[in-house]
Amino acid sequence: MNILVFVKRVQAAQEEELRIVGDGERVDLSKLPYKINDWDNYALEEACRTVEKLGGQVTAITIGDKEADEVLRRSLAMGAKDGLLLEKPETLLDPVIRASLAYNFLTKEKIKFDVILTGVQAEDDQYGVFGGYLAALLSLPYVSLVCGIEEWSGSYAVVRRELEGGLMERVKVDVPCVLSIQTGINEPRYVSIMGIRKASQIQRKVYDAHQYMDGLSATIEVIKWSYPPRKEGATLLSSDIDTACREILNILREKGVYQ
Amino acid sequence: MSYGLLIADVRRNVFQERNLDLVGFCNLAGIDPYLLLPKGEYEIESSLFKKVLIADVDEDRFLNPLIMVHILEKVIERFKEPFAIVLSASASGMEIAPYVAGYFKVPIVTDVADYDKDSKVFFKSYYSDKVFAHVKLKEEKFYVLTLRSGSFKDHIKSRYEETSQEIIDGFADTDKRIFLGYLEEEKEEVDITKADFLISIGRGVGKKEEIPLYEELALRLRATLSASRPVIDKLWLPKERQVGTSGKTVKPKVYLAMGISGAFQHIQGMKDSECIIAVNKDPDAPIFQYAHYAIVGDMHRIRDRLLEILKGS
Ligand SMILES: Cc1cc2nc3c(=O)[nH]c(=O)nc-3n(C[C@H](O)[C@H](O)[C@H](O)COP(=O)(O)OP(=O)(O)OC[C@H]3O[C@@H](n4cnc5c(N)ncnc54)[C@H](O)[C@@H]3O)c2cc1C
Repeated sequence: MNILVFVKRVQAAQEEELRIVGDGERVDLSKLPYKINDWDNYALEEACRTVEKLGGQVTAITIGDKEADEVLRRSLAMGAKDGLLLEKPETLLDPVIRASLAYNFLTKEKIKFDVILTGVQAEDDQYGVFGGYLAALLSLPYVSLVCGIEEWSGSYAVVRRELEGGLMERVKVDVPCVLSIQTGINEPRYVSIMGIRKASQIQRKVYDAHQYMDGLSATIEVIKWSYPPRKEGATLLSSDIDTACREILNILREKGVYQ
Repeated sequence: MSYGLLIADVRRNVFQERNLDLVGFCNLAGIDPYLLLPKGEYEIESSLFKKVLIADVDEDRFLNPLIMVHILEKVIERFKEPFAIVLSASASGMEIAPYVAGYFKVPIVTDVADYDKDSKVFFKSYYSDKVFAHVKLKEEKFYVLTLRSGSFKDHIKSRYEETSQEIIDGFADTDKRIFLGYLEEEKEEVDITKADFLISIGRGVGKKEEIPLYEELALRLRATLSASRPVIDKLWLPKERQVGTSGKTVKPKVYLAMGISGAFQHIQGMKDSECIIAVNKDPDAPIFQYAHYAIVGDMHRIRDRLLEILKGS
């Protein structure tokens, strides 16, 4: 099984303040730490487990600036055999361009694969478009929100995909195909700093993204940024922990859920 | 007038309520809503639509993106290109929309929460609702949209006295992707949807070792412990405890959210709780927008102090 996994380096924003600069010109992300996109981490783990079981190899591909090499090193440390960087110094905000660029690259370089895995969405822009768009360009079957792979045969796979409210569906899909992977499908392995250091010695291949951008131009643009609309707002409880806790208990009593 | 082609979100013969957002968007944008449905018995209010197009196919094949593109080809052949193809940002919308956009090589904007008709700007969340991007199409041509559930239904205003119905048939089929059946979650021991008081913990909990202390807190407060997705994904609590779109929708008297940022998929599962108390160390956490009471602080310290008080020390 020859598996390509597209991985993205994103900024971890969950615990950070995001400041919008100027009159909505841009979001100041300069102080944010970077990480591998959570969804891609699960996709990578699934790919590694699959080849460990069935043989074959995993190739991690990323689109980004030089620094994006970091997620390739991490992917190699996890078990990928190859790491390919499609280098593009400027950020590509449009998911259509990213998918089209990937398509041009895969076809022009005649990259071979049986399956392409991507994460369901990226934590930063949350588009959730890349895998599906790429699948359509490649004329390959697509399944999204994959939360379980039950069976691989040479010509097809049986997968579970997540729906709403705890419901899932089982889908049989021909190989080659594109699957986008949902979090929780597995438990991604721990990657040590040592492992990443060792992986750094494995040669990664760098391609200039501009070579594959012919005829591609952005279909959308972000003209402004704003904070989400503010609602009425919550009543702020005390910043003193002891007082805050007593206030919580009072609310619980008032609401009749605790005596 | 140009039309919006609405791909109905249906599942197990139920026409999902979030389809109303698609109608609301068309009314807001000033375009005629054409609804595309599979054949079957669906309860719809047809006066909301200018046309109802019934694809001659069962629900499971209708929901297959590989077949959907062929249905759409037929629709476009018959009615010309729509202004937009519009879907819910749901499990089926998330799958069908990008595939359709890629197939027709057109732009796509997903999870749209608002739209300004005059400037033609879409408002879309980035970084789990911490900021919103104002997105514009570079060129005005046909595109694909997915809409955040609940965001547009209040814009519904037009009714059509007559709704015409047409059958769409003669499109290609495929066996490259086949629906095999549904799987229900296993029977649950604890039903979080029945609890009056939920203490819900999120990724902020940090380590598995912290979980027993939250279990103890829940026990002492006679609350039920629930969680956001990352806690469930890490298998720290069973799946039946997950609150959110792909988990359970809950409506307790009190929802005490600790270390949960308030991503939309989580909010959808708990926003109708009678009283929401949120604890988060980040004063800008989106969950505070939905909370009635907010505590900016460390969840573990709050937990420890509550336990101390409850133990009477
Ligand atoms: C199709 C789909 C379906 C999904 N379904 C669901 C679903 O059903 N349910 C669900 O929850 N999510 C769901 N998600 C995931 C969702 O998008 C978010 O990723 C998830 O809800 C984030 O969970 P969180 O708030 O616990 O974590 P994060 O977003 O990582 O937030 C952690 C928060 O904890 C705070 N924090 C950290 N340490 C502390 C501390 N010591 N004290 C206080 N606060 C602290 C941080 O400031 C931060 O706000 C779904 C996603 C997709 C794409």
